[in-house]
Amino acid sequence: MQTIMVIEDDQTIREELATLLKNEGYQAQIMTEFEAIPEQVCSIHPDLVLLDLGLPGCDGLSLCAAIRKIAPIIVVTSRTSTLDELQALNLGSDDYVTKPYNIPVLLARIKAVLRRNSGEMTEPDILEAAGLRLNLTKGTVTAPRGTTELTRNELKILAHLMAHAGQIVSRADLIEALWDSQIYIDDNTLSVNVTRLRSKLEGLGMTDVIKTRRGMGYQL
Amino acid sequence: MTAGKFILDRLGRVILQIAFLFAVAAFLLVTGTQTGVVTIVLLVCLLIFSLEQLTDFWRAKKRLDELQAIMNGLDKRYLFAECAPKPQNLYERKLFELLHLSGKSMIEAVSDAQTAQREYREYIEQWVHEIKTPITAAKLICQNTGSDTRRKLSQELAQIDAHVERALFYARVENPEKDFIISKTELSAICEGAIQAHKTLLIQNGIRIETENLNENVYTDGKWVAFMLGQLLQNAARYRGEAPVITLSSKRLGQQVQLAVQDNGIGIPAYELPRVFDRGFTGSNGRKRGGSTGMGLYLCKRLTDVLEIGLQIQSTEGTGTCVTLTFPAEVNLTKM
Repeated sequence: MQTIMVIEDDQTIREELATLLKNEGYQAQIMTEFEAIPEQVCSIHPDLVLLDLGLPGCDGLSLCAAIRKIAPIIVVTSRTSTLDELQALNLGSDDYVTKPYNIPVLLARIKAVLRRNSGEMTEPDILEAAGLRLNLTKGTVTAPRGTTELTRNELKILAHLMAHAGQIVSRADLIEALWDSQIYIDDNTLSVNVTRLRSKLEGLGMTDVIKTRRGMGYQL
Repeated sequence: MTAGKFILDRLGRVILQIAFLFAVAAFLLVTGTQTGVVTIVLLVCLLIFSLEQLTDFWRAKKRLDELQAIMNGLDKRYLFAECAPKPQNLYERKLFELLHLSGKSMIEAVSDAQTAQREYREYIEQWVHEIKTPITAAKLICQNTGSDTRRKLSQELAQIDAHVERALFYARVENPEKDFIISKTELSAICEGAIQAHKTLLIQNGIRIETENLNENVYTDGKWVAFMLGQLLQNAARYRGEAPVITLSSKRLGQQVQLAVQDNGIGIPAYELPRVFDRGFTGSNGRKRGGSTGMGLYLCKRLTDVLEIGLQIQSTEGTGTCVTLTFPAEVNLTKM
C-alpha cells in the first residue's frame, strides 16, 4: 500500500484528507508537530507528500526544496496566482493544486504523480466484469458471442459501471464521473447513451445486463 | 490664447487708452494746436500703445505655451506646481505659491488614498486565502459524508467559492501589473479547468457542454482566463433555457485565436446589451431571477483589457448569448 503524508496545519482539513485518502486505498500519515519537518518526512519515507505552503512559521518554498530530496511532492495552497505556481514548480514540486481543491482532480493528480515516480505501467486497459471484457485502448467490448466497437461515451459509461460491478451507481454519480473524463453530458443524453449501449450489448447476446433500479440508478 | 481673447480680456485698458487719445486730441485742438501736429501726436501715441499691447500679448502667449508644454509632459498632472518654472513677477510668484500649496495637499490626499487602497486590497487578498481553508475543509467533509445532503451542500459551497473568487479578482484588477504571467497555454486546458471548477453547478442545472476544436495555443495568463470562463459558465447556468447546452469553440483569425462561449439561454434584451459590462449592472434578467451581482461581466471586461483580449457579446432574446474572447497574437502583445 502506498503511503501519503499530509503536511497541513488546519486540523479539520488534514483529518478529512486522511479519511479521503484511506477511502481511496492509500495509507495516510498526518503530521501534527511542525518542527524538523524534513526529518519527520525522512523517518516515515512516504511515497508522496501533500504539502501546504502556508504553514505557520515556515517558509513553504524552502521546505519544498528540502523535502523534494526525500519524496515527491504535490503542493497544496490557497495562493492562486500563476507566479506562486511557477515558483513552487521551479523548486521541484511535482504538481500544484489550489484550495479549495476539486477532489477528483486532486485524486487524479495524486495517482499521476505516484505512477510517474514508481515507474508503474499505465492503468490496466482491460476491464472484466459480468461476463464482459472491455478493452479501453481499442474501445471494444467482448462477450462470449462476439465483439463490438463502442463510442467514447458508451465506453466510459460501461467502464464506470464495470469498475463498480454489483453496486448501484446513481445517475448523478455516473454523470459526475463522465464529466471528470471530459464528457460533459446531461441527464437525457445519458439515457440515450445507455439505451444505445444496451442495444449493442443485446446484439452480443447480453440482454438486460445493465439493470435500471428505479429512483436509484444503474447496476451491472 | 488668441489675440481676440487677449484684447477682450484687457478691454478696459484698451477703452481707457482710446478715450485718453480722444481727450488729448480734443485738448490740443481746443488749445489751438495745428491739426497736422495733433495727427502726428495721435499716431505716435497709438503706435506706442499698440506696441505695448503686442509685447504683452507675445510675452503672455510665450509663457502660457511654456506652462502648457510642462503640463502636457507630465504623467501625473497634479504634480504641476512642483514642476512649474521660476515665477517671472510678483503676481506669478504669489499665484505659484498658492498652486504649490494646493498641489501639496492634493498629493497628500492622493498618497493617503493610494495607501488605503493598497492596504484594503492586501486585506482582501489575505482574507480570501484564509476563507479558502474552511471552504476546503467543508468540501472534504462533504466528500467523506457521501449522502444526498452532500450534493446540496456541494452546490452551496461552490457558490461561496465563486463569490470569493470574484472578490479576489476584483481586488486584483485594481492593481494588476504584478499578478499575472503571460505564457503559452493550451486553450483546451483552460476550458477544462473552468468546466471542472463549475462542475457541480453545471450538472445540477442539467447542462450539457460541447467542445469543438479547442486544440489551439494562446499567449495569456491561464488562471485569469479560466476565471473569466467561469463567470460566463455561471451566467449561462443562471440564465439557462430549456434543454441547456453550452458550446465552447475556437477558431483562428490570422494570428489571433478566437474562443466563443455560446449558450441557448434566455438571452439579453437588445437595449440592455450595451450596459452589461458596467459595474453592478444586473438588467431585467438579473432582477427577475435574483442573486445577480452585476460583477461577473464587469470583471471580465476589466481583466480582458489588462490582458489585451478582445471581448464581445451578442445576444438574442429567447435564443441565446454568445461571448467571444479574441486572444492577441504573440507578436502583438505589448511588453508588460
